[in-house]
Amino acid sequence: MEPSQREDELEAVFLLIRDCQQQPSTRDLASVLKRPDEEVASDLKMLALEGDVMLGDDGTVALTPQGQELGMRVAKKHETLQCFLSEMLGMDRSSASNEACLLEHTVSDETIDRLGVYIKAPRQHRHQWRGGQEEDPCMIHCPLSALTDFKEGDDVIVSMILGQERAQRLLDLGVVPGERVRIKRKLANQALVIQVKGCDVALSPEVAASICVEPLK
Amino acid sequence: MKFALIGNPGVGKSLIFNQLTGLGVEVNRYPGTVVTLERGNVCFKKEKIEVIDLPGIYSLDGSTDEEVLVRGFLEKRDADALIAVLDATKLERNLYLFLQVAEYSLPMVVVVNMMDEAERTGLSIDTERLSKHLGVEVIAVAAVEGRNIDLIIPKTISSAHPPQTQVPYDHHIEAALKSLEKTLSTPRHKNLLGLLGMSGDPLLRDSAASIAEEIGQRHQMSVHQIIATNRHNFSRQLASDTVTIGRRKRSFDLDSILTRTVPGIPILCAIIVLMLLSVFIIGSWMERIIVSVFTTYVIGPFATLGLSPLAGQIGLSLLIALQAGFGIAFPFVFTFYLALSLLEDSGYMTRAAFLADRVMHRLGLHGEAIIPMVIGFGCTVPAVMSIRILKTRREQTIAAFLITMIPCSARTVVIAGIVAAFVGIAWAFSVYLIVLMLIILTALVISRVTPGEQFGMIVDLAPLRRPRPGLVLAKSWIRIKEFLFIAMPVLVITSIVLGILQYTGTIDTFQQVVAPVMTTLFGLPAYTSTALLFGVFRKELAFETLAVLAGNANLAAVMSGVQLYTFAIMSVLFVPCVSTIAVLYRQLGARIAILASVYSVALGFFIGALINLLMK
Repeated sequence: MEPSQREDELEAVFLLIRDCQQQPSTRDLASVLKRPDEEVASDLKMLALEGDVMLGDDGTVALTPQGQELGMRVAKKHETLQCFLSEMLGMDRSSASNEACLLEHTVSDETIDRLGVYIKAPRQHRHQWRGGQEEDPCMIHCPLSALTDFKEGDDVIVSMILGQERAQRLLDLGVVPGERVRIKRKLANQALVIQVKGCDVALSPEVAASICVEPLK
Repeated sequence: MKFALIGNPGVGKSLIFNQLTGLGVEVNRYPGTVVTLERGNVCFKKEKIEVIDLPGIYSLDGSTDEEVLVRGFLEKRDADALIAVLDATKLERNLYLFLQVAEYSLPMVVVVNMMDEAERTGLSIDTERLSKHLGVEVIAVAAVEGRNIDLIIPKTISSAHPPQTQVPYDHHIEAALKSLEKTLSTPRHKNLLGLLGMSGDPLLRDSAASIAEEIGQRHQMSVHQIIATNRHNFSRQLASDTVTIGRRKRSFDLDSILTRTVPGIPILCAIIVLMLLSVFIIGSWMERIIVSVFTTYVIGPFATLGLSPLAGQIGLSLLIALQAGFGIAFPFVFTFYLALSLLEDSGYMTRAAFLADRVMHRLGLHGEAIIPMVIGFGCTVPAVMSIRILKTRREQTIAAFLITMIPCSARTVVIAGIVAAFVGIAWAFSVYLIVLMLIILTALVISRVTPGEQFGMIVDLAPLRRPRPGLVLAKSWIRIKEFLFIAMPVLVITSIVLGILQYTGTIDTFQQVVAPVMTTLFGLPAYTSTALLFGVFRKELAFETLAVLAGNANLAAVMSGVQLYTFAIMSVLFVPCVSTIAVLYRQLGARIAILASVYSVALGFFIGALINLLMK
């Protein structure tokens, strides 16, 4: 069995257990991996021999501490890489995910740790706000400072806008790189009213967080 | 001759259009979309001129229905001249759209509207200078006062010509445009569209895409951003050369109270409750009058005609459908539209969206979704029509499900007529509470299972203005016409089908078949199944039919409190009416329409059975 295949399978088991809160069956696993049931079943037997998984009598799969450790590490690599590729480098989500699937098997732990720190660094002091959904590991964040880092009455200069689709609407309203923007109102949930080109524009927190700005000197 | 008005939303285009053409407006649905175009005619020196009001847009580069429509209109060169309407108080941002339109080189004139407001805020605009820069005639107008409106048509006829202005793009973009022009011999504005990835021509799109990518890499910025920045910078230059900012008179800024959490949110709640209450009170008063007039002067005489039973039944069903349509359309929906247009024209609606953003996020939506939600309290049909303001399919789906559950004015009639009248006011409120809780629960579940991404709110806050009565009326009129256009045919057809079923005795058979279910599962008398069935056709018919079938207007005499309560909740939850299903189908397709309907039937049955079980 290829190491990358082992990692893929443990990652899939890990994600299924994490997201569904129960132990998956061989069939669940096969449908996630998009491979035939028998193949997955025989792979699982080999993984059981290596001490990565435990097979229940009812056909469910559980992870041993060793398998848990490896599955979690690969899943984390995948999320970090996908986030970096789609949000920082601007790839679309599905190709970023496919690319992450290939890279996750070769990238070193150190690279992933450093990437994770790089992506997360600016968000430690922001986003107390939570949406109705579980936190998206890839919610768009600016590598520098975002509009949401400033307070009511501040003047800032737009330096970059992340996320292609939203950006178009913002561009049309005059939120372009180099433009001076004033924060007119900031609610507790980080929703903003900004003044740009003499007009007031209301923004959701996640939109405001995707606008990178610099303070006006 | 054919002229078209083009401009940003909220520049007073509709007001100018109404002043030019009067109220004889024709609304056209543009094929394949839900965007409407308004057309009207002006007579000038015995010549008939058609004027078209294009939907308000911020730019020509987007992919909303409105932007696609306007782009297609310009592409076809379907007008003899364009009248570009700009807002004097926001000239810089308005010029951004003008510069894009100018690239199509159609004959045009520029109308700078809201000169009165600009003067009040201390702005003065040198229209002659602007005219020189843009290379077209510029007319200074104050539509609210009617100032210079009469100049628009004569000047457009005499001096509309293609603008002489051109945005100086970044030199890489200019080089790309030139090389595309040389290799493919396509015009400049098409090449720009190509660079932005929006050309319909595959050859141009492909060759432009590779150039765009290269430029994007070199600048570390997408071509969209570069082009937008160039245009904005040029419009800033133009604006700063023509606008002088004088001393601004200090006036009280209402936004300092309206957009804060406190007192903004209490004010928002108060406004919505007040609006719904007044619509309900005025509506039920008007409905009584319309229904009684209709009964005495139309249905009464019809019954004495002595037609054959089948013809009589069909005729009666037709009349009942018309009565139902007008009985709900004018009293409730029209009054509601008046209130809504008032809120929209005053600019308050955009503030409501801002304040509601937080709550809407919890439901998997964002601030702008409050508009369809509020409309839903009036009537579900226009509410579903308005969900297209939400950008993603995910948001539209969630909103559609929730809207079909919101108690519309017809459902309010059921709650008031059955529960409030015979069980108690407190119980009537408990119905609302239950529905509200179910809406929140539904939202929490479907926002997790609906695939797709959230777009987030980006709303241009409209300036607060005193609404113009004429415009509010015109807007409501156009909307009610749209409502009648969708709802009426559905009402008439369903009514006739139900009439025929009743004539052939199918309904009685149906009643007998489902009788055991009704009694054992819900503890309701057999005839309530027919009343529920009629409720599918029009919600408050459930109540009226029930009274007829029970043979007693005092429902408390024939049904127990629990039975009335169960019936009311079931008919409130149970299936959005047929008109809603029709409009769901048109907006979101058969799958969502069926899912939403099946869900509400299941929910209605489930809650009905649950109450019966708990209260027995």
